[in-house]
Amino acid sequence: MSTSMTKEETVQDTASVFSVRNLWKVFGPKAERIPNGELAELPADELRRRTGCTVAVRDVSFDVRQGEVFVVMGLSGSGKSTLVRCLTRLIEPTSGVLEIDGEDVLAMDKARLRELRRHRAAMVFQHFGLLPHRSVLDNVAYGLEIQGVDRLERRAQAMKVIAKVGLEGMEHRRPTQLSGGQQQRVGLARALAVDPEVLLFDEPFSALDPLIRRDMQEEVIRLHREEGRTMIFITHDLNEALRLGDRIALMRDGAIVQCGSPEEIVAAPADDYVRDFVRDVPREQVITARTAMRPARDGEAGVGPEVTPLSTVATAIEAVARDGAPARVMDDGKLLGIVDHEALLAVVAGLDTASPKAGAAA
Amino acid sequence: MSTTIPTKPDSPNPEKVGSPPGGPETAGALARLRARLSVMRPASRRLTGLAALAMVLVPVAAVLWGSDSWPGALGVDISGPLDDFSKWIVDNRDTSPVFLYFLLHISNTSVDAVDGVYQLLDFLGWTGVTAAGVLLAWRAGGAGRAGLKVAAIALGAFAGCGLLGMWDPAMLTLALMIVAVAVSALVGFLLGLAAGLSDRVDRALRPVLDTMQVLPAFAYLLPFVLIFGTGSPAALLATVIYAAPPMTRLTALGLRGADPAVLEASASLGASGWQRLRTARLPLARKELLLGLNQTIMMALSMVVIASVIGAGGLGDEVYSALSTVDVGAALAAGIPIVLIAVWLDRTTEAAGELLGAPPAADGPRAVRVPVYFGPRPLRLGSRLLYAGRIRWITVAVSTVATVLGIVAALVAGKLAGAATWPDAWTFDISGPVNDIQDWMVNHVHAGVPVLGGTEVWASNFTSWVLNPLRDVLQGAPWWSLLLLVAGLALLAGTWRTALGAAAALAATGVLGVWSKTLDTLSQVLGAVALTLVLGVLIGILAARVSWVERTLRPVLDVLQTLPQFVYLIPVVALFGVGRAAAITAAVAYALPAVVRITTQGLKQTDPAALEAARSLGATGMQQLRQVQLPLARPALLLAVNQGVVLVLAVVIVGGLVGGGALGYDVVYGLSRGDLGVGLVAGAAIVCLGLVLDRVTQPAPARRKDG
Repeated sequence: MSTSMTKEETVQDTASVFSVRNLWKVFGPKAERIPNGELAELPADELRRRTGCTVAVRDVSFDVRQGEVFVVMGLSGSGKSTLVRCLTRLIEPTSGVLEIDGEDVLAMDKARLRELRRHRAAMVFQHFGLLPHRSVLDNVAYGLEIQGVDRLERRAQAMKVIAKVGLEGMEHRRPTQLSGGQQQRVGLARALAVDPEVLLFDEPFSALDPLIRRDMQEEVIRLHREEGRTMIFITHDLNEALRLGDRIALMRDGAIVQCGSPEEIVAAPADDYVRDFVRDVPREQVITARTAMRPARDGEAGVGPEVTPLSTVATAIEAVARDGAPARVMDDGKLLGIVDHEALLAVVAGLDTASPKAGAAA
Repeated sequence: MSTTIPTKPDSPNPEKVGSPPGGPETAGALARLRARLSVMRPASRRLTGLAALAMVLVPVAAVLWGSDSWPGALGVDISGPLDDFSKWIVDNRDTSPVFLYFLLHISNTSVDAVDGVYQLLDFLGWTGVTAAGVLLAWRAGGAGRAGLKVAAIALGAFAGCGLLGMWDPAMLTLALMIVAVAVSALVGFLLGLAAGLSDRVDRALRPVLDTMQVLPAFAYLLPFVLIFGTGSPAALLATVIYAAPPMTRLTALGLRGADPAVLEASASLGASGWQRLRTARLPLARKELLLGLNQTIMMALSMVVIASVIGAGGLGDEVYSALSTVDVGAALAAGIPIVLIAVWLDRTTEAAGELLGAPPAADGPRAVRVPVYFGPRPLRLGSRLLYAGRIRWITVAVSTVATVLGIVAALVAGKLAGAATWPDAWTFDISGPVNDIQDWMVNHVHAGVPVLGGTEVWASNFTSWVLNPLRDVLQGAPWWSLLLLVAGLALLAGTWRTALGAAAALAATGVLGVWSKTLDTLSQVLGAVALTLVLGVLIGILAARVSWVERTLRPVLDVLQTLPQFVYLIPVVALFGVGRAAAITAAVAYALPAVVRITTQGLKQTDPAALEAARSLGATGMQQLRQVQLPLARPALLLAVNQGVVLVLAVVIVGGLVGGGALGYDVVYGLSRGDLGVGLVAGAAIVCLGLVLDRVTQPAPARRKDG
């Protein structure tokens, strides 16, 4: 994806779409006393036994920037689905600050909140949530119907979106007549039809089989490339997170353990949990030359193949292997550093993680 | 969802809380006792508690009030005050503001409504009504081949009513039905809507609905007679109240059962509560709504027929008056139209439910359901968008227009021919031939059949060898022993609260002064339930194991389950004469289909993996049945017992009309003699007995919460 390296630089330039600060969600009786208290420090079983409460989201803070794909990833029970539902208050957060385009979401009244859900954030669900008694066309037009758009106009709009997700010719079928992948395309089209500012995905492809899942991931990548829409994507699949995410927030027991680009997560795991998680990732395909390089020594400036800072280590290995000499990392004609055999092998062997370079949390 | 919904904190185990009182020795003894108790199964632990309680209470009670039948000292005679109350109502019906401004309006409105519908049916004439019934059935059935079948059933039903000379009573019954079902479905739907959307309403309604479903139809009649007097208002309101629960229950079930993913998706798109209800919840519940309507219609028919006892008129009245003179021929002539109407209504609403409930999936024959379809894919007429989704609409419109036109045409034709009521020349009086057959049966089947004896002989043997001893044992047992027995059984089936409720309900019958009559009715119920269960489970097992038996039984059970209770009385009177045996046979026949069906389903739904494992270990068919299927089908069997008991009770009470005696007879007597005191006391006792029997046979799922 296009923006993975620009993190530090773009923090200031690009506005945050969602801004989340110290968000908590606690289920159970008198939940509001848990956040930020000493009770919150208790282990989960102990807390449940003493108060009957369960912490689903624990003191979470992050920003989602305009146009990025922000992936929240974690195992089941880590609170990621609750977190994404808190963003549009499908689940009411217990405490914290939540802003969309600088506007306080938690302070919104019912009408304003409906407005947010109708126009600004649309969601795609794991189990599709399609209306079985309606045709594909009317399912896609459903969001517009709720907005009060008249019949002809919403159908015209829906037809465009149906074409965009590749369901042409199926608009008169019922959801039950479609395969799982096609049903999720309908779910995606329904969310796109309302032309939202942000698309929220809640494990949208988990229920699909692996080949279809790959197709759908490519579909999302294509849509993102074409439209540049901001996306928040929930998944439990690390490969999916690495494929799609500009930035990834890794959740465990309701808290974000690490938040950063795929490369940061793989190259510099914040703790053993994350390290365990990313152990089997093919590192050379995630880590870039910029991370693997060392400063140039005398005499290296003019020789050897050139690679861009963003090219993966795998690409650099190919260049080095072909030329037999260390490669130069060049950005706009400027020499940034050198990747040689040792550096590249260290990445593949996983030796470089001992000295974390990038910051752990965003 | 990645969050675990927090479960309630485990309630502290009472045996572990607090330090034992007394010194170390008592503590040790208590600890041993506790250890012993904790090893026992919860049910037997509770029974031990009950036994301990009984050891204290029973001697006291026995000394104070004796050990015979229910002690007179504990009775309260309420028939006097009840009579006074009903007299007061009769006296004040025309003057009291409660009547003038409220009840009188209800009464007048219902009379007007029924009259209005009856006049409409009269105006349509037999041609118009038949055309309307047939075409609506065809329309409901999806207007294809399935529709034709339903339409044929409708045609048969109307023709049957006419041919048997029952056109007029049938129209009166139909008018009552239309009004009752309209009101009942509306009330039921609104209540169901409230219960489906609000947990609090649901919690409040559920026990009421549970209880209402247990009560025999007969018990509903008296309160309405008390207030409105006999006549169609009382009958109509009793029907409305009796038939509303299934609509309420299924509406709530449908709304609550909606796919949460769909509702969440709807909310995430910013739907308001009303939008969500209209676009997601109600459409998703369509199948349940139609099933609820179907059940409400069937229950309303059952009640409208029974309500002839309080002056509802129509087909039920014909059966009622024929039965009171044991004129089987006339009863059958009115009974057959009831059966035909029941089957017609059931098939029509069922077909409508299937049409709406099933999405046009690839597996279904599409053309059958969407007849005016211009090919496998929509035609591309100019704007595809304009055309989208219109196919369905066009079909609906075309078949509706066809239906309306057909009705109008039939109406005009009927008017031109001058045929308002069914032509007399086309009627056929079957009561004569049927009574001849009946006479022949009395002479040849009732008694004197070589070796076998005869039906009347069986009946009297059953009465004197089974029913009488059972009744005598129950009536001779000390009153406290029965209370204890009921409490114990209820405790096994449920919780302390169920036990207390059951014992209190039984005690209430004693307090009301109908202890021995209640036990008489109970003995009939027990006899009938035993027969029902033996036959039902055997047939159920057979049907579960032999597929052709199930195939043959299915249509028979379908028809039997739609018939009103009243209809069952006719053949049993023909076979066994009047008496308790006849009432019991009717009860068995009425309850049998449900028991067979539940048993068969329970057995067939046992885990196929468990069955396969047993087969792979070389189990014989009998071993599979005994060791795998029956144990796994236990919940279904318990449900069958519960349903059997409830259904049997309903008919045993109605059996008061054909010599069943006891409580049912008291109700009939109270109604026919205007002695509401007796009738109401018996009605209350029936309610209590219904509660006792239901609580004692609660199927397992109802006591999940009890630890």
